[in-house]
Amino acid sequence: MTHTLSLPWTPVALSSDVPPGTVIPAKLSSGPIAVWRTQSGHLSANGDRCPHRGMRLSHGFVRGETLSCIYHGWRFADDGSCTHIPAHPNLTPPSAIKCNPRQAKESGGVIWVADELPDEEPVFFEGYKPLRSLVVAADETSVREATQATDVDSGLAVNHAGTDIRLLVSDLDGEQVFVILLLAENTSPEACVSASRWAEVMRQKAERICNHGETT
Amino acid sequence: MTDTAMKDAWYPVGLCSDLSADGRKTRLMGEPITVKTGPVGAPEVLNADNEPLPVIIRFGHVWTSLGAPQTDLFTIPEADQPSRKLVDVGVVRVKCSPLRAVENFLDIAHFPFVHTDILGAEPHTEVEDYKVEIRDEEDEVWATKVKFFQPQAAKSAEGGITTEYMYRVPAPTCSVLYKTCPPRPGEWDVICLFVQPLTEDLCDVWPWMALYDEDNTMTELIHFQQMIFLQDRSILENQIPTRLPLDPGMEMPTRADMTSVAYRRWLKRHNYTYGAQLVAK
Repeated sequence: MTHTLSLPWTPVALSSDVPPGTVIPAKLSSGPIAVWRTQSGHLSANGDRCPHRGMRLSHGFVRGETLSCIYHGWRFADDGSCTHIPAHPNLTPPSAIKCNPRQAKESGGVIWVADELPDEEPVFFEGYKPLRSLVVAADETSVREATQATDVDSGLAVNHAGTDIRLLVSDLDGEQVFVILLLAENTSPEACVSASRWAEVMRQKAERICNHGETT
Repeated sequence: MTDTAMKDAWYPVGLCSDLSADGRKTRLMGEPITVKTGPVGAPEVLNADNEPLPVIIRFGHVWTSLGAPQTDLFTIPEADQPSRKLVDVGVVRVKCSPLRAVENFLDIAHFPFVHTDILGAEPHTEVEDYKVEIRDEEDEVWATKVKFFQPQAAKSAEGGITTEYMYRVPAPTCSVLYKTCPPRPGEWDVICLFVQPLTEDLCDVWPWMALYDEDNTMTELIHFQQMIFLQDRSILENQIPTRLPLDPGMEMPTRADMTSVAYRRWLKRHNYTYGAQLVAK
């Protein structure tokens, strides 16, 4: 277990991956979640399962300030409470109907989620901006080996062709890790493209190491 | 194994119109089977040891059972009425529990969201109370007096109408829907969902219809039904858990789900648990 994986907050997406009025699927170690942003820009996360018939809420849609399940249109507020059941439009949904709200926060262009509200704030890399994310079918040890990265406060650091890259790594399901790349804010567009390509090469290398025990 | 009850039931395993001497290799509740035209031309179903299984030919499909069925396969008298178009829709494979596939077929509240502007549309989302019963004599689940507003209820419907439905579950993985027939007021269109359980989490679904429809070609009718069912598939493959929870607490029904509640109760009562999730098994 490395410190990235044991952070109280899990990095699950870039802020730009979830524009207002959208929902995406993501994963915590406790299970799948739906991460969504209201029309007015408020970010929320909850268990990826409608309490009615078990449909994944990440397949649903955001209207106004609520998330709707795609199956029967049940509407949920950011606190997980059900606000509307279309089959019974005049019924006030019982307060027992909940869709497992999680804690969601944004810091430095990264979306962080936790099961319960942690005491501390999510990690913030002063002077860095997120470039992209990627899923690697390998464990964190293989990613470390492939990148030859060094530990730096709550993340990994590596220098590629003079560009300073920070990596946030979180476990998805024991077989895949989710990686977010951050670069210094003043990184040139050319260096951004180069870092993105480096990430692809790193992914292939990590997956080879993980599958075949190949070493660098 | 607690699924003996379901082993004795009848299941669809192929279309009569699609039989060959070479046969079609498929599965039934995990067991490999072959469905073929036998030496004398009659349909035949063989198990892994090449032993014949019981066969019934009905509703355009070949039906079989891994056990010893105590009853005949159900009938649909309306489907025998002359001048109905009998539509073999074909097969759709779905990565879900066979019981989830049937339960979804019994549900109308999803029409505006899953079959948007076809079988339902906002703001017409309300499900009025209807009648549900488990008929002891027939041992079937029935829902009657079901009404719903539909923008295009059938291929033959023009414009929105309030459609009336009756649902029937005569076998653990089969459901028959009787539905207002736009060209023939007073008659019911018959739409069936016959589900072949391949495993507890995988099924082949064989929709079948007996309709009064003189305007549409067979191809158009098949395409309409396939479009509808493929919309359902996107739901069925994304429910958690994959298996149908039969114990209360895991999922939260409302009045609109009375048919589903009765179906689950009926399954549990008969120990029809292949494809079900039980808290204590």
